[in-house]
Amino acid sequence: MSAPLYEVRNISKKYGSVVALDGADFQIHAGEIVGLVGDNGAGKSTLVKCLSGAHKPTSGSILLDGQEVSWDSPRDAIEAGVETLYQDSGLAPHLTVSANVFLGREKFLSGPLGKLGFLDNKAMNKEAHEDLDRVGIAVPASNRSVSQLSGGQRQAVAIGRAVSWASKVIILDEPTNHLGARQAGEVLEVMKAARAKGLGVVFISHTLPHVLQVTDRIVVLRLGKIVANAPTSEFDAERLLGTITGLNQVQ
Amino acid sequence: MSTVENTTTIRKFAGNQQFLLLLVWFGMVAFFSAFNSIFFSTAVFGNILLDWAPVVLMAVGQSYVIISGGIDLSVGSTVGLSGVVAAFQMQHMMESGKNQWLVIAIGTIVAASVGVIIGLVNGFLITKAKIVPFIATLVTMGASAGLAIIYSGGAPVAGGPEKAITLSVPWFGPLSTPGLIVVGIVFICGLFLHRARFGRYTYAIGSNEFAARSAGINVNRHYLKVYALSGFLSGLAGMYYYCRLGSGAPTSGYGGELDAIAAVVIGGAALSGGVGRISGTVLGALILTTTTSGLIIIGVAPDWKQVVVAILIAAAVLLQGAKGDSRGARK
Repeated sequence: MSAPLYEVRNISKKYGSVVALDGADFQIHAGEIVGLVGDNGAGKSTLVKCLSGAHKPTSGSILLDGQEVSWDSPRDAIEAGVETLYQDSGLAPHLTVSANVFLGREKFLSGPLGKLGFLDNKAMNKEAHEDLDRVGIAVPASNRSVSQLSGGQRQAVAIGRAVSWASKVIILDEPTNHLGARQAGEVLEVMKAARAKGLGVVFISHTLPHVLQVTDRIVVLRLGKIVANAPTSEFDAERLLGTITGLNQVQ
Repeated sequence: MSTVENTTTIRKFAGNQQFLLLLVWFGMVAFFSAFNSIFFSTAVFGNILLDWAPVVLMAVGQSYVIISGGIDLSVGSTVGLSGVVAAFQMQHMMESGKNQWLVIAIGTIVAASVGVIIGLVNGFLITKAKIVPFIATLVTMGASAGLAIIYSGGAPVAGGPEKAITLSVPWFGPLSTPGLIVVGIVFICGLFLHRARFGRYTYAIGSNEFAARSAGINVNRHYLKVYALSGFLSGLAGMYYYCRLGSGAPTSGYGGELDAIAAVVIGGAALSGGVGRISGTVLGALILTTTTSGLIIIGVAPDWKQVVVAILIAAAVLLQGAKGDSRGARK
């Protein structure tokens, strides 16, 4: 396979004396969906935070496109093309759909008013609608407040936002949580659309059938270490569960 | 068919906080005027507007702070301290025979700067020392109030430019120059809150700080700016009181924080953040000052103001809760 798009090497993270991540290697290629699974406390969230720039690893290196990088904040990672969607927390409920889609990269009016920071809401409403449409999300009017949307619609908007902005990698932390079967199916379709767009997709989930259904490769974390990294075809539900709990191991 | 349309129109208006506030205000004006016809006069409205201006300055800053999910208890003390410091500066300049307008301009800059400094201290306590806004601003509230009294010796600091006092006299109906300047400032602050990125980030942070952070917004820097703005506007309110009283009184902003918070809450903002409008705050402050003047004119002890304000706050919060339920808003 070609060189990885995004990669961490021998990465460790300690919180005081607690070792949350212990020498983990992780790669994601362009046009690939990688499932990241593990029990609670296995270090998934910590790895996600290192990948997204929210936390700095204690040791180890991060490489994007073969170049070593160091994130001081999520902003750095976002600007480099790495988008992260956190569990249940991606949107500001009091803002409109388009304000959320454009949060952090607003469009300004042309001329002196734009220089003062005045927003071009019309253009953002229109583009937000198009962006979400493109990644296969049926959106209600983009000038509606997010608090008026259902849980599934909110999640769809959050994912659509991340997919439309990501230029390289998209990290989705439990995107199908609290969703009905049909809505979860839509989310999985959006992930496939992102893969088709040539993005590297990291899919973190406890819902193993979803992971088996959509991923190309699965990485299993246990107690801060990578214990398996293999094509999805090598797993079935029973074997995957065994690897997560430590009752059997895939080499 | 038309009845259905009518009820939805009525509902739409009833759900509009500004419309309700305007109704409440008209109701108050009618009530007070019915009790004493003197109330309905240019002089009384002029006085209401003169009282309104400093309250709305503090309340607009407070609106930004509350929409961002915080609270600023230090605004009243900031008014007192900035007025006192500016008064000493102006007294000093008058003694060395400077031009009165220059003295007023410098005094305004000094008052605003004192406010900004207190606001920045609030911001640092909140973002760097990780103290919750309630406690952080309680600390600066006490410190500023104490410093104002120590610095002034407890008495108003006079000896400034006489033109400052004549400035406050209404020259067109109920309108005065400082009042018009305040209207202009409030308008600009409203535009920035509702139309510009600065306001968008303020709402986003108050609505979901984590989402704002993960969208790449520098949340700490934004908090710093919001508290500095609140301090800046309170400093200007300090200068406003100076012009009105002709001296810098350490107690001029006494209780101002409660008036400001009350105006914002009556105006429809939620203390949990993410909700509120400047138009609501403007009307909230107007209702507060109208209550005070009205009670005096109809001969009721002004202490009743607090009772009336308490009822208004309770009504506003209940309305907020009812709206929150129907919209299903959650954090």
